[in-house]
Amino acid sequence: MNPIQEAPGRALPGPAAIETSGLTKRYGKVTALSGCTVSVPEGRICALIGPNGAGKTTLLRLLAGLSRPTAGQVTVNGTTPRQDPAFLADIGYLAQEIPLYRRLSAEDHVRAGAHLNPRWDAESVRERLTALKIPLDRAVGKLSGGQRAQVALALILAKQPRLLLLDEPVAALDPLARRNFLGLLADGVAAGGLTVVLSSHLVADLERVCDHLIMLASSRVQLCGDIEDLLAEHQLLIGPSKDTTAIERSQRVVQVTRTPRQTTLLVRLNGPVIDPAFQASDVSLEELVLGYMGQDAPPAPAHLNTVGEKK
Amino acid sequence: MTWLVWRQHRVQVYLGAALLAAFAILIVITGIQVGNQYHAAQAACAAGHGCRQLGGLFLGSHAVGFLIISTLGAPALVGLFVGAPMVAAEAEAGTTQFAWMQSVTRKRWLTVKIGWMLLAAAIWGGVISALVTWWEGPNNAVQLDAFDPGRFDIMGVVPVAYSLFAVALGIAAGALLRRVLPAIAVTLAGFIAVRASIALWLRPHYLSPVTAFYKVTTGLTPPGSYWQIAQGVLGPSGQQLAQPNNINYVNGVPATYLPASCVQVSRGAFTPPPSCMQALSHFRAFITYQPADRYWTFQGIESGIFLVLAAALIAVTAVTLLRRDA
Repeated sequence: MNPIQEAPGRALPGPAAIETSGLTKRYGKVTALSGCTVSVPEGRICALIGPNGAGKTTLLRLLAGLSRPTAGQVTVNGTTPRQDPAFLADIGYLAQEIPLYRRLSAEDHVRAGAHLNPRWDAESVRERLTALKIPLDRAVGKLSGGQRAQVALALILAKQPRLLLLDEPVAALDPLARRNFLGLLADGVAAGGLTVVLSSHLVADLERVCDHLIMLASSRVQLCGDIEDLLAEHQLLIGPSKDTTAIERSQRVVQVTRTPRQTTLLVRLNGPVIDPAFQASDVSLEELVLGYMGQDAPPAPAHLNTVGEKK
Repeated sequence: MTWLVWRQHRVQVYLGAALLAAFAILIVITGIQVGNQYHAAQAACAAGHGCRQLGGLFLGSHAVGFLIISTLGAPALVGLFVGAPMVAAEAEAGTTQFAWMQSVTRKRWLTVKIGWMLLAAAIWGGVISALVTWWEGPNNAVQLDAFDPGRFDIMGVVPVAYSLFAVALGIAAGALLRRVLPAIAVTLAGFIAVRASIALWLRPHYLSPVTAFYKVTTGLTPPGSYWQIAQGVLGPSGQQLAQPNNINYVNGVPATYLPASCVQVSRGAFTPPPSCMQALSHFRAFITYQPADRYWTFQGIESGIFLVLAAALIAVTAVTLLRRDA
């Protein structure tokens, strides 16, 4: 027996569940995703964050094989997404619109899934929906939006995929259902063999469960990595409102916020900060994400005395 | 896949089966009556009286006759209500994203769905055509018009080919447009346009028609259910005579070309005098037609054309759905 065993999970990045390089998707003249290079190791719960229209859905659809890249490579579970039962069996993709047959009941969907998938845990869906008091025999179109989302999520879990791609899955859920669902995902990942990508435009939705982050803005990847590493690599520097060129020379400044009294800098660290006028503090995920989103946001109105400065 | 197709479309299947059953009951009951009428008329003919009337006899009721003629539109129904929504309704509701993210390739999804739709269309067209062909049997025997446009189209095997074409057209329109109502509109317009143009402009030329010349005094009727494409009268110098509606004719020859002795002055039976017969002997008539024995050849050619069109439309659908982003 080998006395030294690798800790499961995050100690070492395992094989990648998702690997893209220069992934680009254009619809006519519109570029929905541009030069996207990301990597998500197996066993992560990855938050895909970005403002509306940043390209989150485009990326998820490329990963699921529902659309084809204009340029670049994409590898999912070790292969290029393709029309092959074995590939499809390992992917669980839930579109934002929660596509279900409105006239069919949840039970019909469960049976359809049993006919269409090699692995299918029908009982888990029935148990879960019964526990949530969602009628199995009612047409899905007659359920509430939240109930429909629960049905769709239960179905996608019954497929027992290796990679779950969920587009805004919690948007339709109430806070309690949201917490329960995210807990369920965390359990699934902890049990092994599952990687999850969840998209949202709100960090707060996903912060609790995610350990990996892909941030998109304006069709480009702004950040990608383990959240712990990303937080460690960034710091907030707060100091008097003065010239910041010295810091900008040694650190990569992501965002500068100035008030008459003080200047706040979000920096990606290249080394220790030696300017004693500035006080360094850790950055929260929300501050980090907003900082990167701010890079492309228009400047705030001047009378608020805050300037989101483009670097 | 078949389970899902059945679960999705079983209401349509029940509805279609109910319509077919109702139609079949009506056709069988009235068809037996038509048969009896026909045999009675034949018996009367054999007994030597009333035989003249047989040619003009319309067997069956006019209401059922109208229903029979309206089966011209039956193939279109399957295109509009089964074919057009097949892809379009799922694209509109987004449910393709459910079906295509199960462990089933789009190719298999398409193959199974199209397979069942084509089978349903063939059954629909086949059952209706079989009933109509059987019901019209006595009428065809009496009126010898099975080859005529409008009647050729509702009997034999062509309704099956039309139905397959209609459903393929609907599927292709739905796959290209991804919206149910536009797909239905395009299917209807396309079906009518293709059916009409082939029937009007292509069908008469599947095989070169036969032209027969004859003396107007003897007359000529080709045997059986031939399809007359043209006829006319040629004058003494061989020129074709105009045949306006508002003048008198004697044996098909406009009276203006004939001596006064040919014109019937009084009512009642009229036997043209020898001078008139002499004048008539200079006129010849012709008939251009497709002989009755070509009926099944024409059914086969027409079916083949529509099957090829259906296959092309299915190829378009496959390319559209398999090559394009979902």
